[in-house]
Amino acid sequence: MSPETSPTIVKTLDYTGSERLTMNMGPQHPSAHGVFRAILTLEGEKVVAVDAVIGYLHRCHEKLSETLTYAQYPSIASKTDYVAAMTSELAYVSAAERLAKIDVPKRAQYLRVLVAELQRVASHCLWLGTWCMDMGGALGGGATVFLYCIRERELVLDLFESLTGARLLYGFHQVGGVRYDMPEGWAGECRKTVDLIEQRLLEYEGLLESNAFFQMRTRGVGVISRELAEDVGIGGPLLRASGVAFDLRRAQPYSSYEDFDFKVPVETAGDCYARYQVRMVEFRESIKIVRQVLDGLPEGPISSRPGLKSVAQVRVPKGEMYTRVEGPRGEVGCYLIGDGGAKPYRMKWRGASFSNLAVLPYIIPGHQVADVVAIMGSVDPVFGEVDR
Amino acid sequence: MTGLHPALVGLIASSVLLGALLGLVAYVTLLERKFAARLQSRIGPYRVGPHGLLQPIADGVKLLLKEDLVPADADRTIFNLAPLVFLVPCLLIFATIPFAPGLGVADLNIGVLFFLAVSSMEIVGLFMAGWSSNNKYALLSAMRAVNQVISYDLPLIMAALVPVILAGSLQLSAIADAQQGLWFVFYPVLGQLGFLAYIVASVAAENRVPFDILEAESELVAGFRVEYSGMKFAFIQLAEYAHVMGTSFLGALLFLGAWSGPGPLWLGPLWFLLKALGVFLLITWIRWSFIRVRVDQILQISWKLLLPATLLLVMATAITVVMRIP
Amino acid sequence: MVADLRPKGFLAETWQLVRAVLRAMRITALSFIRKPVTVHYPDKPRVYPDRYRGLLALTYDPATGEENCIGCRLCEFVCPPAVIQVEMLKSEKRNFAKTFTLELYACEFCELCVQVCPTDAIVMMKSFDMATADRRDMLLDKDRLHAIGEQYTASWATGNRLRDMQAPPKKAAGEKPAHEKPAGGAPPVVSEGGGAAGVEP
Repeated sequence: MSPETSPTIVKTLDYTGSERLTMNMGPQHPSAHGVFRAILTLEGEKVVAVDAVIGYLHRCHEKLSETLTYAQYPSIASKTDYVAAMTSELAYVSAAERLAKIDVPKRAQYLRVLVAELQRVASHCLWLGTWCMDMGGALGGGATVFLYCIRERELVLDLFESLTGARLLYGFHQVGGVRYDMPEGWAGECRKTVDLIEQRLLEYEGLLESNAFFQMRTRGVGVISRELAEDVGIGGPLLRASGVAFDLRRAQPYSSYEDFDFKVPVETAGDCYARYQVRMVEFRESIKIVRQVLDGLPEGPISSRPGLKSVAQVRVPKGEMYTRVEGPRGEVGCYLIGDGGAKPYRMKWRGASFSNLAVLPYIIPGHQVADVVAIMGSVDPVFGEVDR
Repeated sequence: MTGLHPALVGLIASSVLLGALLGLVAYVTLLERKFAARLQSRIGPYRVGPHGLLQPIADGVKLLLKEDLVPADADRTIFNLAPLVFLVPCLLIFATIPFAPGLGVADLNIGVLFFLAVSSMEIVGLFMAGWSSNNKYALLSAMRAVNQVISYDLPLIMAALVPVILAGSLQLSAIADAQQGLWFVFYPVLGQLGFLAYIVASVAAENRVPFDILEAESELVAGFRVEYSGMKFAFIQLAEYAHVMGTSFLGALLFLGAWSGPGPLWLGPLWFLLKALGVFLLITWIRWSFIRVRVDQILQISWKLLLPATLLLVMATAITVVMRIP
Repeated sequence: MVADLRPKGFLAETWQLVRAVLRAMRITALSFIRKPVTVHYPDKPRVYPDRYRGLLALTYDPATGEENCIGCRLCEFVCPPAVIQVEMLKSEKRNFAKTFTLELYACEFCELCVQVCPTDAIVMMKSFDMATADRRDMLLDKDRLHAIGEQYTASWATGNRLRDMQAPPKKAAGEKPAHEKPAGGAPPVVSEGGGAAGVEP
């Protein structure tokens, strides 16, 4: 909110409609989804240009990873995409394992799938809640959906808390496997929780799906064509809503995903409503995978490098490796250059939201200011990933 | 009261009304917060006083103690006057409402007209606030507000005309008396449609969700009142809630039979209050269930849907009344 | 969505609108009737799961009453934000920690120090209540760490238990049986109302 002097406002608001107004949205803004600055150029209510400014949350993760060993960094890796911490950790740990040719036991792979899918459910809960809150206002109907979604997300976070001890940033993965095993009775609680969430999903859809206001706000808004999606290199639900049937869990199965039966939702419309539909189906598919994992969980060790005896116990040979996982937002990738020691020579994150944000300057112009928040919410950026 | 000068009577009556009104409006905010909280699976204010009953007082004290900021390049006179210009019409509308037969400050024989005309004068105060704040967000929101309130005042007037035609008078006490037998909302088809149109139009004319695009917190961060703090902000809040309560009272009077209810006649005002609160809770229930609509869609709904619908409704009511006379 | 005034389309769309509105309002009304999920913290305590990663503390050996910490400094080396500082004190039979400083305000609560400790000396508690107005209160020295250990309940996870959970199944007699199901405890009961503690309406 940058105030200008009154004469300037009068000058820029020419009633012939050809004057342009530059408005700043963020970085402190109730719906900026983090710290994001969008410099909008408006003609009346219509946006004609978007200039996206990022970098407000840069915390030097990549440099930090060069100073921490492979045993220390996984708990920091969760802090890039803090909403979906499990997938961020998985990317880093998989990269180190593949480069060092360390096998991961079957039980650990299944546990990784289990927490990744539960994390997807929790992340999509947060997405739905914040998106509706942006569209509906913090003091309106949007807040109602937000609180319902947070209530469901809390159940999943309670599950994670009994598994690892932490609610949001877990440190669950380690090179060679996972750190924690399921406690007594956890599997039963997990089943009850996903049953309850599946039931509540019907409620959310009832609140939103046939709601004329919701349809008005999301249909035809923020259309990403298939060509644009493939050119810009976005990923995740954005890509699948534009007609590209690409999901890393199917295209390049990692961590035993090939053992599970699930559907990859694809829509062709490419607008906000299509992205909503894709994510709602992903909710249910993730719950399906969780049930399959719980049914087929093998016995065995949970790590092939058990116990932490020294901080430098994992050494990764010289070489480079790029590993990617399907996070709730898209492709989270970790590019690792090992040099034979206990610390990486270089590590680079490919943040899913970073690439997804690149599509904003193409799809926002032509819409109104109110649509900007709807589009940003449906793109679902998390700025920990964007700025690292 | 017969021995006193009528001006003095009027003064006492309006002071009593003003005092009661301010207390009511303050506690209506608490009611809304508790109601909204239960709709969202949580408890509302709880700690300030037993079950949060002292919350409005705490809020009032807090707002009194806040720093009174005027933005550097704002138009000072208009900035300071705007909350008052916003508040006065919202309080003035209560003057015409009779709370029981004979118990009202000024039971004008053009009551409905006065009510609707004065209540739409708040838009001037709103625009003054948005303009003088010297803030792009406030200005955008004020412009949206003028658009919206003007477009929805027309269907509101048409919807309010349905009971007027059915009762045959603009005087509010006459409309209330005409509902002794049957409340207008129970009138076949016309009553229900009229009530529905009234509710929708009043939600939009008061800038409540789903039509609160002008104070869309996620976009405009409080819209036209973004630069206000302290007591001026309190005035604006007060005015908004007073307006909502005013239209709830009017709705209860026009459609729900005002003071008619079981029990002796002196319970009438209590029933009236309960009905008004019922209308208010209905509006609040709508508020907390929907996301907001974009401004061009709001205007579309008004001009393409609501105004033709209410015009047809008024015509149908008039035809019905005329055909009953012979 | 909003059509022109064509009679059939207009009525059908309006009816759809009304039905959607009623459905949404019914769902919010359902929430109104259900019990709120609010837990009256801090009047009613929150139920912490067994493995909760809370405040850090140093422990004594329950059998002999001696400190468990042998000053090996493994926790200092493994800590990612490097908040632990230890000085070893050599002694006959076993070593001790002369000083043990932990900067809790910078701690990540990642539990790596607990995982690496060979003697289960450093553990995490099932509580995080250390709100203070002065950051220096959170610079914990050895005495405070031991005091925290006495004050709160320790969580289930200690170094040895975490290592046993990860270690491959052993067939040797006497040791813990192969892959014993760790007693971490289930999360609080998942019920409609949510919180395990009672709620006042």
